[in-house]
Amino acid sequence: MIKKLKVLMIFMLVGLVSLADSTQFVMEGPEVVAMGEQFRLGFTLNESGTDLQLPDLSNFDVLMGPSTSQSSSIQIINGKTTQTSSFSYIFILRAKKEGKFSIRPASIKVGGKTYESNSLDIQVVKGQPQQAASQQGGGAGGGGPQNAQQQDDTPSGNVSKDNLFVRVAVDKTNVSKGEQILATVKLYISQNVPLNGFDQVKLPSYEGFWTKDIDVPTQVNFTREVYNGKIYQVGVLKKTILFPQQTGNIRIDPFEITCLVRQRVRKQQGFFDDFFDNYQVVKAKVVSDPVIINVKDLPNQPANFSGAVGNFSFSGSIDKTSAKSNEAMTLKLVISGSGNLNLINPPKIELPQDFEAYEPKTSDKTIASDKGLSGSVSFEYLFIPRYAGNFTIPAIKFVSFNPSTHQFETKSTEAFNLTISKGSDDKNSGVVNSYSKEDVKMIGKDIRYIKQNKSVLKPKGSSFYGTFEFYSVFILSTIAFAVFYVLNRKKIEESKNLTLIRNKRANKVALKRLKAASGFLKNNKAEQFYESVIKALWGYLSDKLSIPLADLNREKAAASLLEKGMAPEVVTELMKIIDDCEFARYAPAAFSGTMNEVYDGAAKVMGIFEKQIK
Amino acid sequence: MKRIINTILAILFTVAVFAQADLIQKANEHYTKEEFQKAIDGYNQILMAGIESPEVYFNLGNAYYKTKQYTLSILNYERAKLLAPDDEDIEFNLQVANQKVVDSIQELPGIFIVRWWNAIVNSQTTDTWASISIFSFVVFLTMLGFYFFAKTSEVKRITFWSGCFLIMLTIFSWSFAAKQKSRLVNHSFAIVMQPTVTVKSSPSENGTKLFVIHEGLKVRITDKLGDWVEIRLADGNKGWLLTESIERI
Repeated sequence: MIKKLKVLMIFMLVGLVSLADSTQFVMEGPEVVAMGEQFRLGFTLNESGTDLQLPDLSNFDVLMGPSTSQSSSIQIINGKTTQTSSFSYIFILRAKKEGKFSIRPASIKVGGKTYESNSLDIQVVKGQPQQAASQQGGGAGGGGPQNAQQQDDTPSGNVSKDNLFVRVAVDKTNVSKGEQILATVKLYISQNVPLNGFDQVKLPSYEGFWTKDIDVPTQVNFTREVYNGKIYQVGVLKKTILFPQQTGNIRIDPFEITCLVRQRVRKQQGFFDDFFDNYQVVKAKVVSDPVIINVKDLPNQPANFSGAVGNFSFSGSIDKTSAKSNEAMTLKLVISGSGNLNLINPPKIELPQDFEAYEPKTSDKTIASDKGLSGSVSFEYLFIPRYAGNFTIPAIKFVSFNPSTHQFETKSTEAFNLTISKGSDDKNSGVVNSYSKEDVKMIGKDIRYIKQNKSVLKPKGSSFYGTFEFYSVFILSTIAFAVFYVLNRKKIEESKNLTLIRNKRANKVALKRLKAASGFLKNNKAEQFYESVIKALWGYLSDKLSIPLADLNREKAAASLLEKGMAPEVVTELMKIIDDCEFARYAPAAFSGTMNEVYDGAAKVMGIFEKQIK
Repeated sequence: MKRIINTILAILFTVAVFAQADLIQKANEHYTKEEFQKAIDGYNQILMAGIESPEVYFNLGNAYYKTKQYTLSILNYERAKLLAPDDEDIEFNLQVANQKVVDSIQELPGIFIVRWWNAIVNSQTTDTWASISIFSFVVFLTMLGFYFFAKTSEVKRITFWSGCFLIMLTIFSWSFAAKQKSRLVNHSFAIVMQPTVTVKSSPSENGTKLFVIHEGLKVRITDKLGDWVEIRLADGNKGWLLTESIERI
């Protein structure tokens, strides 16, 4: 409730203020006057007031005033009636001294309230003699040329360069490339030159510049201005913002205009001539001086410089960060500020390679004013991700040159992370995508990257081949082989001798054992007899076949014997004898042979072996 | 005595080599940060110390390429290729750099057997061939031992033939090593270093102008006379030019 009341009160206050503002009290006067010249100082009030308090006018002579006048008008719009009235007080003043004077605000009372007017600055310059003599009071504000036409005693006809000229004024002549310049074409007319109008106008071509015109009213407004110590009526014909596109000294071609000036025809007045003066309109062609602009190149430009010169801010936005494949996305970059906005190249964006990208769309909103070209340019990049995945568009950089600091400024957006999911719109394409293979596209060509692995550094020109070590490896390995060979050969030789000895010895040992067996046979000691026979046989075989006794068994012995070319019957007989001995020893009941038979068999087999195995 | 001095020198070199390994790391880091000029200085410092490796030449070539000094990069790639004739990366980068060379010369094709033979010889470095030679010789001796002391004829047959193969391998790899070494030491290839050189018919300023070659071209030095060298292009043309306009690989 209290809040509502407060709001209400604020509204009421605002209403009061706006009501109070409806009373306007304005002081008007020329900006420049010549010394001794009469001029008008006017006060306008839109309501009736009393008790006008003039400011201090001691620097001027008050010749006349105040003369008051009143006007009122009633307007009916859509049945709504508004009444406006104005009261004016006019004083005629004359300047006494040269200099710049400021007139403090005047005050007036309206309905018991005091209102103050604005203050004025008036510059007083040295007067021209003919002007001082003129009876005509200088018009306030913009009526100059019209007033001048009415002057009777103006020494017209001398339309010289002092009286009428055009000037192309630029706000700076030393600029960097791309920096904006405000060029104003001004027409200067001396007060006493009657101007009727313009004819052909030839605008400067502004070659070497990119231009943007500032709107000026088609009706030329004249203001008073001091130039080279003289007062002129000055009209602005054209205002243009220039952006230099090349470096060096650029010449702005002269501006040409043909003015129509009324001149009184001076001739010897005869008696029958016209009583009145004759006037004729003459064409006066005026040409401005060429202007030279010195354009410096930008200091060493960064690689990604976009050509932007001025003071800018930069921002980027994307319409969505997650989308489906084959769905269009838009990235928008906005550059706003003051400078050569229309000349900025679209900043390069690095899209992931599989994205289909289109040319950026550029749109600008710019306003040309006395302060220069300002507004914003936006670039819209349309692209279509073709495959699903997570992608990143790296931060987009915008490099501009700031002419006020003479520095390149880099502004960048943040990086955009995109999540693309698989879209389902493949079915209406009618093509089975998985069957269409693509070649790997080569995007660029460059040398391969440096080798990072640990390299083996060697003294220049050195190599293992041909060194002492290289040869010594060969020599040493040969020597080692030779030594091994000799030693091994010797060993083989020795072991060969050993088998030979054993082979030769075998029969002797066997006979010795059999002898012992025959001893047992005589004494009829069956147990000992068979044992010694079998021992003799095994011992003989071991020596003869070079097989250690521990490794020897019947199969091995048989295989070895057969291998050495023994007849199978002999081997079978040997086996039979061994069997008989073992039967006789361990199962005497099952054994049917006699000790004599066994003894003879063993002796016979050994005899055969002795003959055949060398 | 001489042996001892050599050993001491070898040890000193090893110490130096260890110190240079750090320098390589540093130069590589400069390259990674795209400070190519610093990388070039780093690699050159290593080479100044009298030691080398194909990697250093390759990386130096890359750094020169990145600073657009294509002729120097070709020179260094060629030097790397001498040390590592079969490296694919070096071959690739050399081809890329050679695209910057003005002159295009049709190389005379050799006989295919000779080309194959050279390809085999170039497939390994000197030291690799030397090691192969030593290894196969040692295996050969082992086989010989088996052959002598084998009991069965089977083993004897196998070891005999493998032994024959191994001794052949030893001899060939030895000769390949020798060939590679001589290619390294006695090769006569050079790169043209001056932007443009007029080749004369005789070793004097007054010689008839034969043809003009440009920097980056690989030529072979065939003769020498004072300040002048006779060169032979890959297409077989010959002529004389001043020594200062070329640099030996």
